[in-house]
Amino acid sequence: MSDAPSLEVRDLVKHFPIHSGLLQRRTGAVKAVDGVSFAIRRGETLGLVGESGCGKSTVGKTVLKLIEPTAGRILLDGEDVTTLSPGRMWHHRRRIQTVFQDPYSSMNPRLKVGTIVGEPLENFGIASGKEKDELVAKLLQRVGMRPDAMNRFTHEFSGGQRQRLGIAKALAVNPDVIVADEPVSALDVSVQAQVLNLMIDLQDEYKLAYLFISHDLAVMRHISHRIAVMYLGRIVELTDKRTLFSLPMHPYTEALLSAAPVPDPSKKKARRVIVQGDVPSPAKPPPGCHFHTRCPYALPKCKVEVPPLIEVAPGHHVACLRRPVGASPESLTTTA
Amino acid sequence: MVAVPSDTALASGTDEAPRSLAQRIWTPIRRNPTIFAGALLLTILVSLAILAPWISPDPLKQNTINRLRPPSEKFWFGTDQFGRDNFARTLHGARVSLIVGITVAAISAVIGLALGILCGYFRRVDAIVMRIMDGIMAIPSILLAIALITLTRPGLGIVIVAIVIPEVPRVVRVVRSVVLSIRAQPYIESAIAGGTKGFKLLVRHILPNTLAPLIVQATFICAAGMLIEAGLSFLGAGVPLEIPSWGNIIAQGRSFFLRAPWCIFIPGAFLALTVLAVNLLGDGLRDRLDPRLARRM
Amino acid sequence: MSILSVRDLATHFHTRDGVTRAVDGVSFDLAAGETLGIVGESGCGKSVTALSIMRLIPPETARITPGSVVEFEGRELTRLSEEQMREIRGKSISMIFQEPMTSLNPVLTVGTQIAENVWRHTGIDKRQARERAKEMLDLVGIADSQRRLDEYPHQLSGGMRQRVMIAIALSCDPRVLIADEPTTALDVTIQAQILDLMLELKEKLGTAIIMITHDLGVVAETTQRVVVMYAGRKVEEAPVGELFARPLHPYTHGLMRAIPRLDIDAETAGRRPRLKEIPGMVPRLDKPIMGCAFAPRCDFATERCRVEAPPLEDHGKGHLAACWEVARVQTVAA
Repeated sequence: MSDAPSLEVRDLVKHFPIHSGLLQRRTGAVKAVDGVSFAIRRGETLGLVGESGCGKSTVGKTVLKLIEPTAGRILLDGEDVTTLSPGRMWHHRRRIQTVFQDPYSSMNPRLKVGTIVGEPLENFGIASGKEKDELVAKLLQRVGMRPDAMNRFTHEFSGGQRQRLGIAKALAVNPDVIVADEPVSALDVSVQAQVLNLMIDLQDEYKLAYLFISHDLAVMRHISHRIAVMYLGRIVELTDKRTLFSLPMHPYTEALLSAAPVPDPSKKKARRVIVQGDVPSPAKPPPGCHFHTRCPYALPKCKVEVPPLIEVAPGHHVACLRRPVGASPESLTTTA
Repeated sequence: MVAVPSDTALASGTDEAPRSLAQRIWTPIRRNPTIFAGALLLTILVSLAILAPWISPDPLKQNTINRLRPPSEKFWFGTDQFGRDNFARTLHGARVSLIVGITVAAISAVIGLALGILCGYFRRVDAIVMRIMDGIMAIPSILLAIALITLTRPGLGIVIVAIVIPEVPRVVRVVRSVVLSIRAQPYIESAIAGGTKGFKLLVRHILPNTLAPLIVQATFICAAGMLIEAGLSFLGAGVPLEIPSWGNIIAQGRSFFLRAPWCIFIPGAFLALTVLAVNLLGDGLRDRLDPRLARRM
Repeated sequence: MSILSVRDLATHFHTRDGVTRAVDGVSFDLAAGETLGIVGESGCGKSVTALSIMRLIPPETARITPGSVVEFEGRELTRLSEEQMREIRGKSISMIFQEPMTSLNPVLTVGTQIAENVWRHTGIDKRQARERAKEMLDLVGIADSQRRLDEYPHQLSGGMRQRVMIAIALSCDPRVLIADEPTTALDVTIQAQILDLMLELKEKLGTAIIMITHDLGVVAETTQRVVVMYAGRKVEEAPVGELFARPLHPYTHGLMRAIPRLDIDAETAGRRPRLKEIPGMVPRLDKPIMGCAFAPRCDFATERCRVEAPPLEDHGKGHLAACWEVARVQTVAA
């Protein structure tokens, strides 16, 4: 096992062309992901948080090579897989698996559970026939399902059970990295806890690296080790969980944290930092710092200059022009 | 509906009490009356067509003494101007109609499925093939058939080809749209991420989803094929006169319409009934196989 | 003084496979100007309760069973004719839904849709109704309201559409606003804007709100009193502070421990804690439930819970709970 991170992404860019007019000429691009870099070590969860349209799901699909990146590099265990053709990429798929948001549509409704969960085993020639069934039975037990689930169809199971099946399928080929795109947001609260606990147990057991994509900060705080906050295709803040929640340095992180409702009426916030307006369209992001249109602290230069992601403290990266290196968080707001 | 938690609703059926035989037969009929009506009618018509050589006399045997006889105990459907037995001719005509209908449906489905999948998979092929399909759809099918038949010798085969060509684009469109929508499903991405490759992806995940709409479309093409065949035969551009087909029978009976209306009405009624049966079956299957509609059943 | 009073509301869905008891005997009161939360997981009957009050349940399958009472300002809503009900909907009681795009008509302008509700209920002329529509857009904080009047729903963002829905709902000064998961489809920052707007307007207009949600955070921040539903029944009711400080029903208690917390650093020595799981899943509602519906998933359940349904009992401070084992739950919770 090398020391390289399980998954590393450098300056990842994904632009979706916009075609319009009678001749379907290319008239622009949605800059879904615009220069994103991060690395995830073995056994670590990196949370990717942001609102809809920020590009977090696109990052997930791109590192899985379900869509081709426009630019940048993707490294799996130090090996560059960025430009591999689908056929060559296939050899690397065993290392990186995925759990989808919607357990209803991410499994072929016509197939039995045994076929779905066993498909990767078959594909990579790990096991087939009886041997495959035995492995599938073990996987099902590992995710807390009865082995006889194998002979049933996915619609016979509840959302939480289906998400367990999805996790079993991802585990089948013994991957190093799992990209989990909103794996619990379609589930009820009581079931969410079951799935989150399972994911944490499995990570500790198999030293899996998770890229955990979610809009839910509470879930993030629970499962992540480090968190990257995305806004309109760029990472605006990246740091360990404790720092992010206690000393957020980017105004957008601060806004996200203060906007999320807290299940404790005694902590009813007096007046939260509410950012005004809507998220601009990623097809026409504002110039300079993308957040300047909604930022309560924006300076004139924020409209023109793109803030680089700077390491302001060890392991704490922030992309904000008001945030010079070494500045204390208190200089941003009066109350932390 | 918000009210019924899908988990519980979908789980039903696993632990239901065993039902009586009568219930097991009756319930599906009650739930899909159109499918059963269509299937029943079609079964009767197909059996008659298959059994025609054994249950009816020779449809070509002329009997000039018994020309244009009305329906009677001896000649159930009367006779035509050559004294041929209309019952025999109608049953044999059913064979022609059904052969044309079923062959047309089968061939267009196979060609359409192949082209549809190609279009759904390869964007470049798509652009070209779909423009050609648009072009074909713009040709009136009867005119195309007449043109083809004038160029060649009339025969059952050429009639089938003439009907298939304009029907293919309909299938291609249906299959293509299904393939495109299935390819966007998360479970396809999930399968790719799980290492499922090209051909297996197609056979296991995409193809099965195209079958339901394909079958439904095929029934409608089958009905349309029978109608067009009858029309072509009626116009004299279809099946050769020596083969009794409903179109031919009606065309020949036309001159004696006032004296012997049964020559037209009976094969006409059979044609209408067959088309109705096929369409009922198709409608029923569409409601049944379309998951959005079927869920409510 | 309660303006809306629901007594023993039961709504059953009759399907081929039998009867689904989506709502099975729910009672609560709503005081004027109050915010009442109804919280529960999917399938607990919270949305059907709201739709039953509005009489918007699908008539082919759903029935409000006889004996259910929904009294609004002295009128029994379950007995009114459809005609009379139309008078009340959108005027005295309004409703907003989770997905604003599907509740707005895509081919009519925003202005027309607000104005229509106004002139249908008040009979003022169309020019005045349009004036009112503009006022409402200003009220819900939509900038450049004059121009927005002539825009179509698809030209607006999700948050703006929900603002428009609120504008329509409040255009006739209703006494009650029922909000069914109004912010679930929205992003966090937009959710905060919409929730703040609703509370601000409630203060300004004195509208009572029924806030239906699955999100305990939304409940904690917006409501004054909370009804907790499980499997079509009300299992607990309390003022919001009381409920969060002292949950008495094991289901409520479990839910509060099942959610990951945003506001608490729960890690000990770098190890992520396990969340409290509620085992199993919600029961099927198409079969009669014996005893307490939560018993099969409950840590506190006894033999009695499985056979005898616990009644709602008052435990002081307006705190009602339907549980035989309240005393034990309290010692664990404390």
